[in-house]
Amino acid sequence: MIEIKHKAYLFDATRCIDCRACMVACSVENNIPTDKTRIWLAGIGIKGEYPELERATMVAHCMHCEHPDCMSACPVGAYTKRADGPVLYNPDVCIGCRYCMNACAFGVPHFDYDKGIIAGAFIDKCTMCPQRIDVGEEPACVATCPTDALEFGEREELIALAHTRIQAHPGRYIDHVYGEFEKGGTSYLILSHVPFKELGLPDLGSDPINKITEGLMEETIPFALGWAGVLSAITVGVRAFKKKETMQEEQPAAQETESEK
Amino acid sequence: MNKTLSRRDFLKLGAASAGMVVIGQMLPPLVVRAARENGTLSASGDGIISTMCEMCVWRCGVLAKVKDGRVVKLEGNPEHPHSRGNLCPRGQSGLMNTYDPDRVLTPLIRVGNRGEGKFRKATWEEALDLTASKMLEIKNKYGAEAMVFSSTHNLSQVQFENLLYAFGSPNYGTQRSLCFNAMIVANLMTYGMEEPARIYDDKLAYILLTGRNLLEAISTSETSDLSHAIDRGAKVVYLDPRYTKTASKATEWLPVKPGNDLAFHLALLNIIIDEKLYNASFVEKNTLGFDEVRKEVSRYTPAWAAPLTGIPAETIVRVAREFAAAAPHALAHNGWRTSNFVNSFHTQRAITILNAIVGNWGVTMTEADGEESGTLGKPAQPAYPRVSALRLDGVPWKYPVVPFKLGVFQELRDNIVTGDPYQAHGWFISRQNPVMSLPDRGRTLEAFAKMDFIATVDIIMNDTAWFSDVVLPEASYLERYDPLLPVGDRVFIRQPVIEPQGEAKSALWIYKQLGERLGLGDFFQYADDEDYLRQQLVPLGISLEEVKSKGYAELKETPHAGETLEKSWSTPSGKIELYSETLAKVGFPGVPTWEEPPQPEPSEFYLLTGKVAQSTQFGTQNNQLLNKYSDEPRLWMNTKTAGELDLADGDWVEASSSVGKIHTRLLVTQAIRPDCVYMTPGYGHISKGLTTAYGVGASDSVVHVTFTDPISGGQALSQTFVTVKKA
Repeated sequence: MIEIKHKAYLFDATRCIDCRACMVACSVENNIPTDKTRIWLAGIGIKGEYPELERATMVAHCMHCEHPDCMSACPVGAYTKRADGPVLYNPDVCIGCRYCMNACAFGVPHFDYDKGIIAGAFIDKCTMCPQRIDVGEEPACVATCPTDALEFGEREELIALAHTRIQAHPGRYIDHVYGEFEKGGTSYLILSHVPFKELGLPDLGSDPINKITEGLMEETIPFALGWAGVLSAITVGVRAFKKKETMQEEQPAAQETESEK
Repeated sequence: MNKTLSRRDFLKLGAASAGMVVIGQMLPPLVVRAARENGTLSASGDGIISTMCEMCVWRCGVLAKVKDGRVVKLEGNPEHPHSRGNLCPRGQSGLMNTYDPDRVLTPLIRVGNRGEGKFRKATWEEALDLTASKMLEIKNKYGAEAMVFSSTHNLSQVQFENLLYAFGSPNYGTQRSLCFNAMIVANLMTYGMEEPARIYDDKLAYILLTGRNLLEAISTSETSDLSHAIDRGAKVVYLDPRYTKTASKATEWLPVKPGNDLAFHLALLNIIIDEKLYNASFVEKNTLGFDEVRKEVSRYTPAWAAPLTGIPAETIVRVAREFAAAAPHALAHNGWRTSNFVNSFHTQRAITILNAIVGNWGVTMTEADGEESGTLGKPAQPAYPRVSALRLDGVPWKYPVVPFKLGVFQELRDNIVTGDPYQAHGWFISRQNPVMSLPDRGRTLEAFAKMDFIATVDIIMNDTAWFSDVVLPEASYLERYDPLLPVGDRVFIRQPVIEPQGEAKSALWIYKQLGERLGLGDFFQYADDEDYLRQQLVPLGISLEEVKSKGYAELKETPHAGETLEKSWSTPSGKIELYSETLAKVGFPGVPTWEEPPQPEPSEFYLLTGKVAQSTQFGTQNNQLLNKYSDEPRLWMNTKTAGELDLADGDWVEASSSVGKIHTRLLVTQAIRPDCVYMTPGYGHISKGLTTAYGVGASDSVVHVTFTDPISGGQALSQTFVTVKKA
């Protein structure tokens, strides 16, 4: 059991009717241009042959990982994982290298090719609506969902709820809560009636992908700056020492002089 | 594909409306002032205002977040029973209707030929004077009946009707015959009420949906109710020739052959009666004509229905037994847009009878609260003039059981074209787009050509406005008041959350101004919109300010007639009429009976239409947020059939009916019967004033053929057959 006490989403694919209210709500709430989106539809859609059909679709957005690969890939520390859940992106720091896009197992960060370095943000992705959750509201997508396919709450409680639902309806769900353990856990948890790969979700182990790199890349600049600091300090220190040494070199003479006195 | 609104344009729009606010800076705008006074807006003009959605007719409660005089977000009002805190995609996108760059913001008068789209800006004074003088000219020359009025379901409709009745015209066109005439008339004949309310309680165990695609044709609270019922484990049996999103969530999908759902329901009645699975005591106590039904349905065996419906006989038997066993915690849903075939009235009657004989009344169905509550006040007005002219839509002289308020809109249009029994000369249209909604667009434009004068009230240059002589710009639903609406035990308000943009005005104001110019000022005895609402509130003893601030007021008394089983129904007999003497008297069958629906030739397909969650009829395709998240409207065709016709996904195809042809792209899918094609209605706009929607998709109204059910007057919207070939 991974102990993480903070907010998360629970998405139930058996409840989602693909109405896209969440997508419109997100676009308005976050003032997303009409040719961009932070939420999209994933999954293989209708499968089978008439009239034996099944539908597999999922509302996809940032998984808000416990060990975010975007964050560990970012060389300038533009990503942060807030203690209460959201993985956030700081456009003021981003240099547009797109390492995060390559790193994300879910294809979440989107690059805005219309924008230059002057215009600011390069990358766009779901933020978990901090402007709303900080004042006790649900994220915009969750608040509007007419079928409760999206829910929001404490991660532990949602995991318990998800397992209760699986137990209560034998045969309805795949017996697994996606995101509970995947690569160390995510804050977007998913219940499904079809295999998760049919919803477009990768098969991942429970170890963080970035076990080794985590904290390395993101520490690059602080590390470099730190080293610069240390080296500067050493330089300054050495100089000071040398100066002191020089002074001491002079002093002993004086001492001597004094002692001689 | 479309012109999209970039973030920069969005900012420009903001700057433009900010500029307008600056003009009134000396004094805060009225809306802002009022909102500050009642505490819904802060001194800086930010806050939350409670109002009601108008993106469809379900009218969810909305909390509008306002910042610096602009609506920035809409939330579902948790206190409103239709939204319960949620909004559908259309509701969420509502502010983009208001901020549509294509809004018409000044009155317009046509200067080019009709349909050329050349207009000049005019003042309200000039546009209203012109409209009133043209209407009076027609009245004086040909009689009041030569003016046709039409409008689609909305909260100001009561004042629209006031205008037309005061003017003295019998010719009133609504959308109803293009939608639910079959269902309403069937319920009136059976229960004596238009549409019983449906109860989705925790015990509801079995739901039979006949083409009711509730998970795509969203009515927020009912969609939520159905979804939660499915989640609890209620069984849902869904009949539809198409594998819709509702089909994908249903327990069982029955891809019924179009028009033959009547045979399915007759066979259900056959089994339930034959095997005595009905509620005998309920039937005896509350219904009339059970024996006539028994006699009629005895010949409709499941074995008979199986080849017609394409549903195996044993499935029909099983559904009948399951439904009866689950009763009274069972519900056969009447559906919404129910006029699909000329036999649809019988299908609807069969469904109402099915619910009645298993005793669902009072458990899963009850009497609905009316929209017009007797507990609200209304401005005083004189009696309407007597009207002796025949109605052009054939009610009641051709359609004896169709209620006046429903009418037969397609017949009205046809009789404008023929000039029989008399010629109409003018058309006043409000919040309606008959160019897109009536079947056979070619004929609708012929009817327009017969008109000396057409005026349209709308917020954008819809296709009907495009062909009009005068366009009167209405304030959007976020910019205006409408009359108060009772919902359950409360009365809810639609109120402006921002100032109307440009010169846009509320319908209440427009109708009053027009009424005064027509010499009908006595019928509009309210000083302004707020005064109208204050007069409505008089019997409640509640101030408008309180309602504005809270968003609703408690009603003093709401009659819940359906709560008791000891009720009498508003039918001639006072019972649930399984057999209807009213129908028999005018020569129609008194019980539902089999009428073979027409079938396409082997080379033809049934043309199906049906709603998607991202649009409402013909009015939202220009909304940039909805356009953003809508699927490209294509013609669906079954994979196997497409292979036989050598057609591939994405091909451009031509679909032709007897009245028109369209070009559209093909969607090859497993999700439809091989003998059907489907298209999303409401696309294919011809107004170039709709810059987002123009050029997107094709219009179903071009190919729909006009067929009217002789009993209910409903347009048979699935009775059009098309051939499809590579374009």
